[in-house]
Amino acid sequence: MSIRLDQLAKSFDGQRVVKTTSLEVTDSELFVLLGASGSGKSTILRLIAGLAAPDSGRIWLHGRDVTDLQPQERGIGFVFQNYSIFRHMSVAENIEFPLKIRKVPKKEREKRREQLLDLVGLGGLGNRYSHQLSGGQQQRVALARALVHEPSVLLLDEPFGALDVKIRGQLRRNLKEIQRQLRVTAILVTHDQEEAFELADRVGLMERGELLEVGEPEALYAHPRTLFGATFLGAGTVLVGRARNGAAKLGSLSLPIPPEVEHEEDARVRVLVRPEQVALSAGAAGDEPPEGNLLGHGTIVEQSFLGALRRVRVRLPAIPGTRQASPAVYGEESLLMDAVIPAGEDPGGFEVWVSLKGWHILAPPRPRLLACDLPDEGSPAPFSLLRGFEGSLDARVSLLSVTDKVDRVQALRAAQTERAASHGLPDAEPVVRKGDPVEEIAAEQEQNLYDFLVLSMPEKGPGEILPEVLTTLSTPLLAVQGEPDSFRSILICTAVGEPGKADVRVGGWLARRLGAEVTLLHVLIDGGGPAPWVKAHLDAGLATLRGLEVTSRTVLRPARAAVQGILDEAKEGGHDLIVIGRHAASRSGGRVRRHDFSVEILAGSGKSVLIVPPGQ
Amino acid sequence: MIGRRHGAGFPVGMLVLVLLPLILMPIAAVFVFAFGGGPGEFLKALRTEDAQFALRFSLLIAFLTAAINAVLGTWAAYVLAKHRFRGERPLAIAINLPVAIPTVVVGTSLLLLWGPIGLFGKLLEPLGLQPMFTPAGVLLAHLFVTFPYMLGSVKPLLDELEVTYEEASYTLGAGRWQTFRYVILPALKGGLFSGTLLTFAHSLGEFGATVMVSGNLRLRTQTAPLYIFAQFEAGKVAQANAVAAVLAALSFVIFFFLLRYSGKERL
Repeated sequence: MSIRLDQLAKSFDGQRVVKTTSLEVTDSELFVLLGASGSGKSTILRLIAGLAAPDSGRIWLHGRDVTDLQPQERGIGFVFQNYSIFRHMSVAENIEFPLKIRKVPKKEREKRREQLLDLVGLGGLGNRYSHQLSGGQQQRVALARALVHEPSVLLLDEPFGALDVKIRGQLRRNLKEIQRQLRVTAILVTHDQEEAFELADRVGLMERGELLEVGEPEALYAHPRTLFGATFLGAGTVLVGRARNGAAKLGSLSLPIPPEVEHEEDARVRVLVRPEQVALSAGAAGDEPPEGNLLGHGTIVEQSFLGALRRVRVRLPAIPGTRQASPAVYGEESLLMDAVIPAGEDPGGFEVWVSLKGWHILAPPRPRLLACDLPDEGSPAPFSLLRGFEGSLDARVSLLSVTDKVDRVQALRAAQTERAASHGLPDAEPVVRKGDPVEEIAAEQEQNLYDFLVLSMPEKGPGEILPEVLTTLSTPLLAVQGEPDSFRSILICTAVGEPGKADVRVGGWLARRLGAEVTLLHVLIDGGGPAPWVKAHLDAGLATLRGLEVTSRTVLRPARAAVQGILDEAKEGGHDLIVIGRHAASRSGGRVRRHDFSVEILAGSGKSVLIVPPGQ
Repeated sequence: MIGRRHGAGFPVGMLVLVLLPLILMPIAAVFVFAFGGGPGEFLKALRTEDAQFALRFSLLIAFLTAAINAVLGTWAAYVLAKHRFRGERPLAIAINLPVAIPTVVVGTSLLLLWGPIGLFGKLLEPLGLQPMFTPAGVLLAHLFVTFPYMLGSVKPLLDELEVTYEEASYTLGAGRWQTFRYVILPALKGGLFSGTLLTFAHSLGEFGATVMVSGNLRLRTQTAPLYIFAQFEAGKVAQANAVAAVLAALSFVIFFFLLRYSGKERL
């Protein structure tokens, strides 16, 4: 293994620029780190070179731990985007510099220098100075200079970024040849997808400090795991449908979900369709549709000539239960699909049938948690639970703090990053908002669509924030009490109002990932047996839970009031999480209800409660 | 286009006319008066013990000032250019302040600090150390007054160097000192040269601060400019002019080098 990064992490001014990252690059591999600017890819390169020190983690080069070594002791070659040719030295002196530092005899230096000049195609230009060279030539000098001392690892930071397209292509091919010839292990950083595909043995895709996906270019293109991967690498449309019976439903079209993609019944499924996988056949809407994987009928809205190919954009009317995740369409129900056809061909009319020749189903996204960290309000983030969730739920945690002072935002963000790290959540995303806590929690949720809200309950009672948040709740809210680190026994209450499918699904999903047991509770009020619909409903709930492979049972409990029944069962059954539905009735008026059902359960049980709004 | 019709003759002529009494004639006068009594008189005036000492002392002080400030100024420029810290701007302003303060004021403040009743001077007095009214005091004053020139010549060059210039050197295997010696310093060559010459020239002509801290002791702390002033006051115009002519000639040489070198740099 030439390069091994072990749990590397780095922050600047309280911003996490590299989240905990591990990576292995094999001998003589050309690895490309691909990402937008600010994604942290250059920082990783600088950490390997020793030009910046990691906050945590180790760096190994050829089996040697170099984390604490100075850059000059690491035996690397580095090529910068701006070349950084020493201006007062000639090309020859530049290339000989690393050898001179290493006290290599003059004869040998000159021999090596000539070899390298020939290698990069600059033979005979040794006496020039950098201002006498073009950008491409300067970068060749930089490459020769970085290779002359035979480094064990070559690092290139956007080496072709400042060059024009034609030179860039030439240099790319040269670089690949040279790298193959010298068999030097290399990491190249770029934001250019085409460059990554052309050069890389493997590509690592970075977004916001996180190494999202690693793979060979073709595999990454054909089978990305994430939405970012699907859209950053190459063109395509991502459609979102629902999982039904092991297939992704896009309207009437059913695409089987491969077994390796984890999915749950009725969950959203994202389907990537590349332009070359879209087949168009001309025909009016009334005509006989073509056979096979038909998505729908649409009209051509745009065509663009790409040389050998022609890109055709088709608009399809809205398909029930299907929306488009990428490319983003605003304020439109209809779908836009891109197809490519040979430039010489004619789609044969503006009305076309659209069918799929191929597709790829993305892995379900990592759940995103918004944890409110409001220590001043008595609601600090429940760090021990979040730590557990990050592992068992594979969740991304965002930590929200709210201040009423504008000038504190920057300081608070830095403090938040540090606070999260000291509580074992170094990769949590700090979110700082200015204003009123209740409004800002709602606004943050609305803008970023988290899967869960987490808010700890103040010790002295529900306080002001929790009841207010409940009035506008649109996302499952986990109100945490005590200091749990996980939940082992989950009580799902179907006692009040209309039995909620959402409660069972969300509670079951959580139980499956936490490895918890589930008890389905129905409270029988005023004595008497359960109504027939109750039994049917509980059975349906059990079936859903079994489908999720969760150990579950049902309990029927007589009580005078629903709240009492739930509290009694929670106490006697030793459950540590209560799941209840949130119903439209208690939202009415928008005012804080002191005797809110959820608040009563929270206050009465002293346990954590997951409140699920309908329609989840 | 309107102005062009008259050619350059008229405005240039006006400029020369204005500059003539302002700059050109006084410079010429120094030489005219210095050689007024013939070369023999001129050499005789120069050969007196006092004149010899004043010129040598001035050259020595200028040389030391230039050498010490070359190191100090480069170091200060390097620290200021490389590190970002709180109070960076106030510090940069404070360092450049000697340019703005009248040199006599500098002399006064040095006396107040290092003089026999000054803050440090009081502490040094019992030890038998007394920097004021000694050659060391003159050197101190010159270092202070000329410090910004070195900084001003070197810092812009350092600011211009991209960060990766130094980093490139590290990744190629050079240590801190090697990087400074082989990569940074050569890049500063032009600035070092002109900064040193400027410092030298200013030190050679320094008067205000020197007159305060030296005590103007002949054959001990009297620099060439002080000598000229003293001779004038004593009515010995010929003696004064002889040394003044030498100083002026030296300045011309330095100025010539500065022009030539900075001209080459700009190429």
